[in-house]
Amino acid sequence: MIQHFPVMAVMLLFLGAFLVAIFGRISPVIRDGIAILIATISLVLIYALIKPVMIDGQIISYWMGNWEPVEGYAIGIGYEVDALGLFFALLVVTTFWLSGIYSLGYLKKDANKMHYYTLYLMLSASVLGLVLTGDLFNMFIMIEIMTFASVALTAFRNKQAIALEAAFKYLVLGSIGSSMTLAGVALMYRVCHTLNMAQISSIIGGEFNLTTIMAFGLIVAGLGVKSYIVPFHTPAADAYTAAPTSISMIFSGMVNKAGVYGIIRMVYVVFRAMDRSSIQILLVVFGAVTMFIGVTMALAQHDFKRLLAFHSISQIGYVITAIGLGTALGLNAGLFHAMNHTLFKGLLFLTAGAVLTATGTTNLDKLGGLSKRMPVTTVCFLVGAFSISGLPPFNGFASKWMVYQAIYTKAVESGNILFAIATITALIVSVMTLASFIKVTQAVFFGQENPENANAKEVPVIMQIPMVIMAVLCVLTGLFYNVVEKFLLAPAAGAALGVSNYIDKMMGAGYAKAAGITDIEAAPAAFSFWNPLVWLLLFVVVFLGVYIVMATSKSTRGRMLEGGEGYDPKYATFFSGEQEEFSQVGGSDLFWGFKTDWKGYYKVLQGLHSGIVTDYASYIVMGAAIIILVMFICLR
Amino acid sequence: MFNVLNIVLLLVFVLIFPGALFTSAVGLWLAGVDRKVLARMQHRIGPPIRQPLYDFLKLMGKETIIPHAANKTVYLGAPIVGFVSLAMIMLFIPVGGFVAVSGSADLVVILYLITIPGVALIVGGSSSGSPYAGIGISREMVTMMAYELPFVLVLLAVARKVGGANLVFSMESIAAWQAANGSLLFHWSMIPAAIAMLLVIPAEVGTQPFDVAEAETEICEGPLVEYSGAPLGLFKLNTAMKMFVMTGLFTALFMGGLRTGIVVLDVVIFVVICTVLTILSMTTIHAVTARLKIEHLFKFYWTFVAGMALLSLVLVWFGL
Amino acid sequence: MFKKLVDNSALKSPWIYHINTGSCNGCDIELVAVLTPRYDAERFGFRLAGTPRHADIVVVSGPITSQSKERLIRTLAQVPEPKCVVSLGSCPRSGNVFKGSYSVEGPLEKYVHVDVSVAGCTPKPEAIMEGLYKAAQILKEKREAMKK
Repeated sequence: MIQHFPVMAVMLLFLGAFLVAIFGRISPVIRDGIAILIATISLVLIYALIKPVMIDGQIISYWMGNWEPVEGYAIGIGYEVDALGLFFALLVVTTFWLSGIYSLGYLKKDANKMHYYTLYLMLSASVLGLVLTGDLFNMFIMIEIMTFASVALTAFRNKQAIALEAAFKYLVLGSIGSSMTLAGVALMYRVCHTLNMAQISSIIGGEFNLTTIMAFGLIVAGLGVKSYIVPFHTPAADAYTAAPTSISMIFSGMVNKAGVYGIIRMVYVVFRAMDRSSIQILLVVFGAVTMFIGVTMALAQHDFKRLLAFHSISQIGYVITAIGLGTALGLNAGLFHAMNHTLFKGLLFLTAGAVLTATGTTNLDKLGGLSKRMPVTTVCFLVGAFSISGLPPFNGFASKWMVYQAIYTKAVESGNILFAIATITALIVSVMTLASFIKVTQAVFFGQENPENANAKEVPVIMQIPMVIMAVLCVLTGLFYNVVEKFLLAPAAGAALGVSNYIDKMMGAGYAKAAGITDIEAAPAAFSFWNPLVWLLLFVVVFLGVYIVMATSKSTRGRMLEGGEGYDPKYATFFSGEQEEFSQVGGSDLFWGFKTDWKGYYKVLQGLHSGIVTDYASYIVMGAAIIILVMFICLR
Repeated sequence: MFNVLNIVLLLVFVLIFPGALFTSAVGLWLAGVDRKVLARMQHRIGPPIRQPLYDFLKLMGKETIIPHAANKTVYLGAPIVGFVSLAMIMLFIPVGGFVAVSGSADLVVILYLITIPGVALIVGGSSSGSPYAGIGISREMVTMMAYELPFVLVLLAVARKVGGANLVFSMESIAAWQAANGSLLFHWSMIPAAIAMLLVIPAEVGTQPFDVAEAETEICEGPLVEYSGAPLGLFKLNTAMKMFVMTGLFTALFMGGLRTGIVVLDVVIFVVICTVLTILSMTTIHAVTARLKIEHLFKFYWTFVAGMALLSLVLVWFGL
Repeated sequence: MFKKLVDNSALKSPWIYHINTGSCNGCDIELVAVLTPRYDAERFGFRLAGTPRHADIVVVSGPITSQSKERLIRTLAQVPEPKCVVSLGSCPRSGNVFKGSYSVEGPLEKYVHVDVSVAGCTPKPEAIMEGLYKAAQILKEKREAMKK
C-alpha cells in the first residue's frame, strides 16, 4: 500500500489541475474546494511516509505500469523515494499547502482565479514529481512543466508591465536551462542506455569520460539555472517581484529547492563526484559568490519583494556552499539551511503579501509605521527577519552555525585558504542580511507613519494562519534543532551518502556490490553547541523578572505615561522643525554611508544587472561554460 | 541538563555572579573610570567614579513617556532584551578561571549574542518612530557591518591558532591552549589581531570617535532620541555592560592564560585587566579624536582594522 | 532606602538641555564655558543632553521670538518630570534690549514656571554654575515630592 503514496500524491495533483480547469467554472466554492482538498490529501500522503522512510530507513520504489527492469536494464519510469527525496518532498508539500491556504485570502481581488489554481496545482505536482522520481528523463519533464507553470504564474497579474517582462525573461532564460539539462540527459542516455538514476550511478561508478563530463556539466548548469545560483540568478529577481506573493513563496520555498535537490542528487548520487576536491571547490566558490552578490544586491533594493528575492539567492548560496563541502556535517548543514530557508523566506514573502494587501504597494519608500495597524504581521515579520539574520534562538542561527562549523572545520582540515575565505564571506553575509532586514523593519513596520497608509488594516485571518504557522515552525525548528537533525537531516544526509542502498532497492539486491559501488563513509555529524531551550527559558524568566521588578517598584520608578487620542505635544515625536511633519527615513537611502564606500562595486553590479535578456542569456551560457570547463580540466 | 538544580544554578549565574548584577556593577565601574580618566586627560577634575550609577538611578526615577508614534511593546521590550542578553553573554566568557557554563558555548554563539543588544537598540529606536532615530539606526547598522569583518577575522585567527580539528570555535579549548602555551598576546603573529580587536571594542560599545550612531550634537542621540526614564536608564546600563563584555572577551581571547588558581584573585585580576583595556582602547582614543563620519568609519574598519586582523589570520594560517 | 538613593541621584546627575530662543549667542557660549576644563561642571554630574526626553534641567536663553515660541512650548512639554526650567541671561526674563519688538513674545514666565533665573547680560560662568546647582537642588525636592 505504502509504495503507492508518492505516485498518488503527484498524480492527484495533476488530476486536480484538470478537475479545476473543468469544474472550476461552476462555482468559486467548488474551485477552491478542489484545489485545497487535493493539496491537503497530497500533504497527508507525503507526511504518512515520514515513519517508514525517515525513521525505519526504508526506500520506497514504484515502477509505473509495473514495467520492471528487463535483463538488467531499467526501461520504465521508476519512482524512488529515499530520505533525501522525502526531505525535499516534505518541504514542497508544506510550502504549497500553506501557499494554497494563503491564496484563498490573498487573491480576493483578482480575476481568472481558475487559471491560477490550475497552474498552482500543476506547479506543485511538477516539483513534487521532480523530487520523488528516480528517472532522469522524468526529472527533465518535471523541470519543463515547472518552468512553464512558473512562467504563466509570473504573468498572472498581466495588467502590470513588470509581470509580462518578468515572464518573458523567465521563459527565455528558463528554457536555456531546460535545454542544457535535456542535452545532458541525452548524452547520458547515449553512454548508459538507460535513464534510471540508480542504474546510471552504478554504470558510471564515479568514473568519468569525456561524454559523461560534458553531460555532468550540462546537467549541473541546467539545474543551477533552476536554483538561481549566480550567474544564473537574473530571472529570479523579476519573477519573484512580479508574481503574486503566494507564488513568490512557492518559488523561493520549493522551485529553487527543486534545483538544489537536483544538484545534490546529481553530485552525490548519480555522478558521485563529491569526493573530488575540485568539485567541492567549484561548488563552494559558486556558493560563496552567490551569497555575497545576492546580499549586496539586496542591500541596494527598495522594493520589499525584490529585496526578498535577492535574499533568496543569497541564502541558496549558503546551501550550495554547505553541500559543496562533501562532508556529512556540511550536507547536514546545507539541508538544514535549505529547510529553514523554506520556512523563513516563505514567512517573509507572506508578510510582504500582507503588506501589499493592506497598502497596495511594496515600495519601501512609500510605507512606514505599519506595526501599530498590523501587529500580527509585524511579529511574524520580525520572527522571519531574525531567523534569516541568524539571531539566536531562531532556526537560522542553528543552521548557520552548522554551516560555519562545517566550512571552517573543512578549512582547518584541508588547509585550503579558499574555504577560510568562504567562512569569512558567510559570516559577513549574515550581518549584511541583518542590515537589509533592519532596513525593511524601519521602512515598513516601524518609523514614522505614512499618512497615505492611514487606513491600512490587518489582513484577514485566513492569511494570518499560514504566517503564524510558519513563524511557529521557525521558532520550533530553532529550539529543537536536535530533533530535526535526528529525524530529518541525518536520514537525508545518510541517503545522499549511502548510494548503494539506493541502487539496490531499484535494481535488485546485490546490484551495487556487483558493480563495485561503495558508500562514502558518513562520519557521524558531531553536533551539539548549546541547548537553546534552557537558554530561552532562562531568557524568558529573567526578562519577566526584570519586567516585574520594573513594574512593581512604583515607589522609586517614575510614572509610565502614554498619550490618549488627539495631538498632545508631550507625546509627539521630537522635532525641531514644523509640528508633526512627515519625514520618514525611507528604505532607499538608509545605508548611504555604506553605499558611498561601495560606489565602484555597485556601479559594476548595476551595469551587470542591465535587465536585458540577451545579457542575461549570455551570463547563463558563460556560467555553464565555466562549470563545464572546470570539470573538463579537473575530472579528466 | 534539565533538572531543577541545574536551572537554579544557571539562574544564579545569570542573575548574580558573572551575569546581570556582576556585569552591571563592573560595567558601571568601567564607565565611571572611563569618564574620570577622560576628564583627567583633558585637565578637568571630572565626575566621581560612581557617576554612571547616579545617572542610572536618576533615570529610574524619571517619567517614562511613550510617544504616540511608538509601538509600545517593542519600545519597552527592546532595552530589556538587550540587558538580558548581555547578562547571558557573560556566562560564556571565562571570567578569570571561573567558567560558568562549560562545553555549551563557543565563539559563534558569542558573536551572535553580542549582536543582540545592538539589534535591540536598533529595533527599539526604530519603533519610536522618530526620523532622528531612523538616521541613528542606519548609522548603528553600518557601524555594525563595519566592525563585524575585523571581529570575524580576529575570531577566525584565534580559532586557527588554537585549532583542534574538532571544536574549532570552543572557548574552553582557547583557555586551555593559553594555559598550556602562554597567552595569545605574547605570540607575535597574534599582535595585529589584538590591535584590531582593541579597535573593535570602541565601535561595538559606541564611544567617541565611533559614536556616530548616537551623535548627541547632530542627530539628538540617534536611536535613543525618544527614550526617557527607566528604558533609557537600561540602555545606558547596556552600554556600560558592553564595555565589560567586550574588554572581558578580549581578556579571555588574548590573555586567558593568566591564572593564579584562587578564583577570587583571578576575578579581581580580570577586572583590573578590563579596566586597563578600557582606558587603553576607549578613553585614550576618545580623548584625542573627534567624531568620524559614517563613511570614514566604515572605510577605516574595512581597510586598516580588517587588514591588521587579516595579517594575523594569514600569518597564523601558515603556521607562524 | 532605595527611594532615597534615587532621590539623591537626582541631585547628583542633572542633565541639561539648552534651548536658544533667539539669543545673541552671548549666553550660549558662556554656558559652554561652564562645561570647559576651567569650570568643569561635569564635576557635579552636569552633562549636555541631546534631546529634551533625556533632560532634567532646561536652560532657555534668548527673548523668545515668534518663530521659536511654538517650538519652545513643544520642547518644554516633552521633558519628563521631574524637571527644572532655568532662564539664562536677561532676555528670557525681560526681553532685554529686544523688548517691544513686534517679533518678541517673551517673557518666559508667560509660558512656563521658571524655577531658577540667572540674570546678567551675559551672566558670568560662576553665576551660571550656581544657578544650575540651585536648579539641581530644586530637582531633588521635586523628585522627593513625586507621589505615585
